[in-house]
Amino acid sequence: MRKGLSGLHKAYFDIVKDWVSGSIAAGLLPDGTRLTVAAVADRLALSRSPVKRGLELLTETGHLTRDARSGYIVGNGSLAEPDAANLFTLPLPDLAPATGVFVRAGWERILDEVAEATAASIPFGIFHISETAIGAHFGVSRTVTREVLSRLQERGAIGKDRASHWIAGPLSARMLDDEHALRRLLEPAALAQAASMLRAVLPAMQERLTKARPNCPPDEIDLIEADLHDTCTSYQPNRRLAAVLMHLRSGRRVNRLFATHVVQHDEAAMLTEHRLVLDHLALGDSEGAAAALRHHLDADHARTRERLKVLSVFTDPVVAPYLTRVG
Amino acid sequence: MSPKQTTRPGLRIIARSELVTQPIRDQAAADLGFPISFEMIDSIDGLARVVTRPDTFDLYHQWHTVDLIWTARCIQPIDVARLDHGSEILAAARGRSGPSRIIDTVFDKLFVQADGRLGPAPTNLLSMLPLLHGLDSFGYAPAVRDLVGSEAESWGWLLDPRLQGRVAMINDPVLGMIEAALAVEATRGTAFSSVGNLTLDEVDEVADILLHKKRIGHFKGMWSSFEDSARLVQRGTLIQSIFSPGVTRLRSLGQEVIVGTPAEGSRGWHADLCISSEAAGETLDMAYAYLNWWQNGWAGASAARQGYYATFPARVRQHLLPGEWEYWYEGQPAPRALADPYGQPSVPAGHRREGGSHAERMSGARVWNTFMDEHTHIVHRWREFLSA
Repeated sequence: MRKGLSGLHKAYFDIVKDWVSGSIAAGLLPDGTRLTVAAVADRLALSRSPVKRGLELLTETGHLTRDARSGYIVGNGSLAEPDAANLFTLPLPDLAPATGVFVRAGWERILDEVAEATAASIPFGIFHISETAIGAHFGVSRTVTREVLSRLQERGAIGKDRASHWIAGPLSARMLDDEHALRRLLEPAALAQAASMLRAVLPAMQERLTKARPNCPPDEIDLIEADLHDTCTSYQPNRRLAAVLMHLRSGRRVNRLFATHVVQHDEAAMLTEHRLVLDHLALGDSEGAAAALRHHLDADHARTRERLKVLSVFTDPVVAPYLTRVG
Repeated sequence: MSPKQTTRPGLRIIARSELVTQPIRDQAAADLGFPISFEMIDSIDGLARVVTRPDTFDLYHQWHTVDLIWTARCIQPIDVARLDHGSEILAAARGRSGPSRIIDTVFDKLFVQADGRLGPAPTNLLSMLPLLHGLDSFGYAPAVRDLVGSEAESWGWLLDPRLQGRVAMINDPVLGMIEAALAVEATRGTAFSSVGNLTLDEVDEVADILLHKKRIGHFKGMWSSFEDSARLVQRGTLIQSIFSPGVTRLRSLGQEVIVGTPAEGSRGWHADLCISSEAAGETLDMAYAYLNWWQNGWAGASAARQGYYATFPARVRQHLLPGEWEYWYEGQPAPRALADPYGQPSVPAGHRREGGSHAERMSGARVWNTFMDEHTHIVHRWREFLSA
């Protein structure tokens, strides 16, 4: 049961397929161009087997025709003499910036998804993570699964119990406290540094806040939270600080789960606190914005702790199929 | 879960069986004149439903969950003006005097504040209608004295090696962890910083001790209802945590049991009534009628006969027989045999309630029932203990 490696995390053959079909559509690979597996693999710095699979798929859609001698011909193969172009001389797009943000190793493509699914389950309790079920779910080998779980273990996101089973959770109040203490130190400082660069993005954020109702749906809350906690701070120049902040999201996950499962949620206080921060930013008062953000983080932390308690009484939350509740 | 009913079956109430006993349920139905369906849920398992499906009940007899259900907004504020005796609640809260001093804690989360949160400053909106409260500790057989001599009653007895194999505990993680923590404190001689809100490490310390004790055969059993607890005593446990109705039941059966008044203090609780956020119109009218029925004192009197105190006892006494108020509330000797809520003789003539009067007993409340911040971790460790 292969569930798609959705969104950004495409399989290699899909990347090849999209790259070739996109280049054809853009007129960069004219009708009659001959493509060999070796040449495409070389041009994209990929191994041959996903390239072959990608090109094969394009013969089914009519983008390519299999050539009797070798390789594939762009179009329906009606041109008498196919042209074997040097793919490095054509103005073709590169796949991605140098190291390949989109082209990632097998384990990287599922790491984020497993990390997010696990993090979203642990407010409810303790979960056993099945290697076999991850393999089946993503259609990957046990080697890939182990690589993913090892990386998560290195991050401290999961561990092993005495019987050597992979285990995650529970998210404790103390973990929320620890995370809050870090955010309270780092995030206002990051915002203060970014403050002068935010003029252009503020109006849209303020408009979103003005329109939001206290019981707005979880997706809308996500956008509002991302505006302040991701976008605003992303303008500060310290990349390592940005990387640390990105991993301090347990509180937000608890709030997200609460809004999803508890229909009567009321975000009026959060909206007011966000408005206060943005108003300071709009006035060019970076210190005021930092102080308002600190106030918001404290108030939000108190709410998150209360909400975690509510989540802790849920008996059968819906979680990813490779997670089984054990406590 | 059944879909929302189109024809309402009258009032739908969720309660615990030992708090809202059959006599109380029968009397409410007889007095109020509209159909009431009671659903008895005795564990914390039903809480997820209360939190997520307020459309499936109209009233909830809450027990140490008010902050949690208020956070989830599954209950609505109670309008003091619609209560027959609302002014008495406000007066008690303003003064924090008289009976209200005895159970001060109930006011901490009683009033809806301007910011929508719960607090002690009186307003005209209540999170709950306070009904009953009490103090739980442990019960023990007279034979315990043969093993421990004349030393003062202590929670430490629950972990005492001299009583090995003859000890039982409640199997509810919320209450059980509090009692176990009191026992650990007494055993090690130092107090936790907040026994009602243990840290992660403290939970682990208590759980590790419980696990060890269980593995060496210290515990004879665990109980989940007061009926279970009475059966355990009959099967030979010498000491166990116990609810007041369990004591009443044992005495009705002629079994001698002494209720501990431990030096370390006891575990207090209060039980209250909350209205579902979904109740409206005619249903809401019925809900307020039920609230006011509880305020008239009959139910409080019935509950007194199993050792529970009404939080506002002014109208309870008129429903009690001569001698009952004096025994249960004033700590005086029973002038004759007194009956339990079911009419069975329970308290023998001449018996004096352990711990004294209402005020004396409640002053022994060291900690109040509560969901601790590390609830998930507690449940996890408690399950480990139960299955060891």
